[in-house]
Amino acid sequence: MSWYEKSKHAVRFWLLRRLPACKQTVEIISQSMERPLTLRERVLLKLHLWVCMWCLWYMEHLQLMRDALRLQENETDVDVSTASLSDEARERIRRSLTNNS
Amino acid sequence: MSEPQGTAPHKSSDVSVWLERHGDYLFKYAVFRLRDTSAAEDAVQETFLAALKAYEKFEGRGSERTWLVGILKHKVTDHFRRMTRETPLEPGEDEGPEHAEFFTRTDGWDNHWNNEYAPLDWHATPAQLLERGDLWRVLSDCLSPLPQRTASAFTLREVDGLTSEEICEALGVTVNNLWVMLHRARLHLRNCLERNWFRKEPTKPQS
Repeated sequence: MSWYEKSKHAVRFWLLRRLPACKQTVEIISQSMERPLTLRERVLLKLHLWVCMWCLWYMEHLQLMRDALRLQENETDVDVSTASLSDEARERIRRSLTNNS
Repeated sequence: MSEPQGTAPHKSSDVSVWLERHGDYLFKYAVFRLRDTSAAEDAVQETFLAALKAYEKFEGRGSERTWLVGILKHKVTDHFRRMTRETPLEPGEDEGPEHAEFFTRTDGWDNHWNNEYAPLDWHATPAQLLERGDLWRVLSDCLSPLPQRTASAFTLREVDGLTSEEICEALGVTVNNLWVMLHRARLHLRNCLERNWFRKEPTKPQS
């Protein structure tokens, strides 16, 4: 490992020791999708993401899940599951429609 | 209120056709959010009854399905409101797994990601996730071990895009409650999706 690489590692670990740990950071990441973060939270998060690839990916994945799910939602012919109305339920609904028309 | 008698004869037959055409879709939609078959059937029934009543307002404008889904959305939130009134959330009620094991380490880096559970690089765009085709099935499977209210909170927020305030009101939880629920759901789901998609046991390299 080169001198440069070694000192990069040292800085990284030094920072990671002093910043809120990943466990708290993922909570803040989740909250960042719900409310504006405070300045202090933003700075700490930025620094953490700068030295922690795992949390950076975590944040990417949450956003990716949201984007994919909302993209899909606007299409109305998506098969969410293989579930279907039972014959009984269908019959019950048909009857209630006849009685109410 | 007196309904005008002798309404057009095609009205109820039209709605019956809708039941054939869209019944299953609406049911899936409801079951995915309510996570309860009989509640979903009720919501679908209420939707068609409301559609029958409001038939004149529709008059073939736009897509039937979009219109019906719009009604169903309200029925789903109504259901949550009713449920909330009947069984309010107990303080300390289970909000979902905490997954403390994700952040347990024995090398002095406790509270940081355990290598076993640390995120991988997915190299994926939202469109690519959808192209997999099994997104909804996997998501639905991954949601099932979560407490019903937590799973519903996630769906209402991330799929339907309701605001925190709307969800709190419907589910009868405080905003802090909701954030804990959403955080636990995300932590759990992200890991579950990754296990399903990106951690398939690599085939051993042939030598």
